[in-house]
Amino acid sequence: MNLLEIDRVSKVYKRGKSPANMDISFSIREGEIIGLLGPNGAGKSTLVKQIVGLLAPSSGEVRYRGVNVLKQQRRVSSEISYYAQEPHALGVLTAGEALLYTGLLRGLPRREAEIQTRELLERFDMGDLINRPIKRMSGGQRRMIGMGTTLIGDAPVLVFDEPTNELDPLNRKLVWDLIVERNRRGATIMLVTHNVLEAERVVDRVAFVNHGQLLEIDSVAHLKQRVDGRLKLDLTAAYGEVERLIGRMEGWGDIQRTGEHRIRLYVNKERAGRLLDWMIHDNSLPIDEYAVYPPSLEDVYVYIDERKAGAAHA
Amino acid sequence: MHSAIDVRPTGGRIWTELSILFRIQFAIVRDQWIIVLLMATIFPLSTLLSMKFMFGATTHQIMVNLIVGNIVFAVIMMGFNALGQEISWQKHQGYFTYYASLPIRKVNFVLTQMLRGLMTTMPSVIIMAAAGEYLFDVHLHYEWGLIPVFILAVLSMVGIGAGIGFWSPNHQTTSNLVQGLMMFIGFLSPVMMERDQLPLVLQWIGYVFPTTYAASALREMLTAGWTNEVSVNVLIMLLFVLASYWFIFKMIRWRASE
Repeated sequence: MNLLEIDRVSKVYKRGKSPANMDISFSIREGEIIGLLGPNGAGKSTLVKQIVGLLAPSSGEVRYRGVNVLKQQRRVSSEISYYAQEPHALGVLTAGEALLYTGLLRGLPRREAEIQTRELLERFDMGDLINRPIKRMSGGQRRMIGMGTTLIGDAPVLVFDEPTNELDPLNRKLVWDLIVERNRRGATIMLVTHNVLEAERVVDRVAFVNHGQLLEIDSVAHLKQRVDGRLKLDLTAAYGEVERLIGRMEGWGDIQRTGEHRIRLYVNKERAGRLLDWMIHDNSLPIDEYAVYPPSLEDVYVYIDERKAGAAHA
Repeated sequence: MHSAIDVRPTGGRIWTELSILFRIQFAIVRDQWIIVLLMATIFPLSTLLSMKFMFGATTHQIMVNLIVGNIVFAVIMMGFNALGQEISWQKHQGYFTYYASLPIRKVNFVLTQMLRGLMTTMPSVIIMAAAGEYLFDVHLHYEWGLIPVFILAVLSMVGIGAGIGFWSPNHQTTSNLVQGLMMFIGFLSPVMMERDQLPLVLQWIGYVFPTTYAASALREMLTAGWTNEVSVNVLIMLLFVLASYWFIFKMIRWRASE
């Protein structure tokens, strides 16, 4: 069953040169984890604010359980919990106050709000920081408190905007674990991120967004099939030889410059054996290092984005 | 299992919202309480002292007007200057994203902003009244009726403050707007002086500002007690309060901004 329907949504800011998003349509099913992926400035945050009812679309509408979100804002704000990166508004509070007050404002009874506050802080390994003002915490700690304010209250729909930004690897893992746990307990989850590699492990479906447009939406498995026939090679050129390396690699596949001395090559699987054989045996190739990878969601994104850009160019 | 929590607007729910939102607002000033108190004291004391130096010996009525005018000026400062600037600052800092994503009423958010302002203004008002009496040998009339009149005076200005705060395109504009408006209302409307001391055109303009009725009611209360004039002003202020509530409820959007 579709929980949220995004129906031909566009946003044009009065002073904006180009639309923030254009004619976007897709649905979010109850109980799934959907990832909204795309580069910085792709229009993801605009779209997510439209979905949670914080921003009115210029045209089109977003429906929650069949009704326009703007016509049931109270219900939407009580059933959809939105994580907006940092809890700026709560900087003057202590960690314990921020979670407790948010729980109470979400409608939890005081006892339950206190229990959830303690549980969340202990889960974040921040139990001893319960009385520390948020403004005296590190960036990562503040973001974990922001995560706590989203999780407290057990809302049936959770929307996270870049939930792992600025977090260390342990906390990033903890955040992904928490997201999966909440989903297993029945929550529908929408993730906005540009961290495609991490999101790949938890999402059921992915919507790729760029330049304010929905490029593609499908399950991770289906999307990967699009590039199943390709392998990714990361090559490090010998010092000062990257241009020559690019010249030697032309014709083998799509080449991207990924650094001062690095290039990435997407090559068809059936040609990959011959390419590797040539690379190993031709000592004149200016290669210091190379690595071969199977296609990831990030490669799917690059592939789709390039194809769309190519089509638009044509 | 995840399920929606009932947040229908019952009395208990509204009380929870108000008390929690006020605690968040109170936390903003609790760390700077001494500075807030000091600033609230400096303004009325320096105003009263400069008045004493300038008008050393003057009529009793002029002194009452000046003292009451300064009290009302302090209320105006809080009513829409501080309220407008605070709401605008929070809006442009991104605080609304947090508040608007919670199932709370914006009118409660505005009321708690106002309560915080009231809390920081009260020392100034009390000092103005007490020091004014001491320095100028003026006797002010105190009675319980002063409390609802004072609260109504503050509430009647909330609509203007909230409107400026929510609608301003940036914080600089808010700051310029409220300061200009404050100067106009403070010195060119019947706040520091009687209505008939102003040119006719300013008298007419004065009718549209709630501060005119707040100043008149407070002046009358502090000099003569609850008279018919106070009752009329209270009724007009009530209309401003209802208009403010309607305005905040219907005209101001914070969840789905354009």
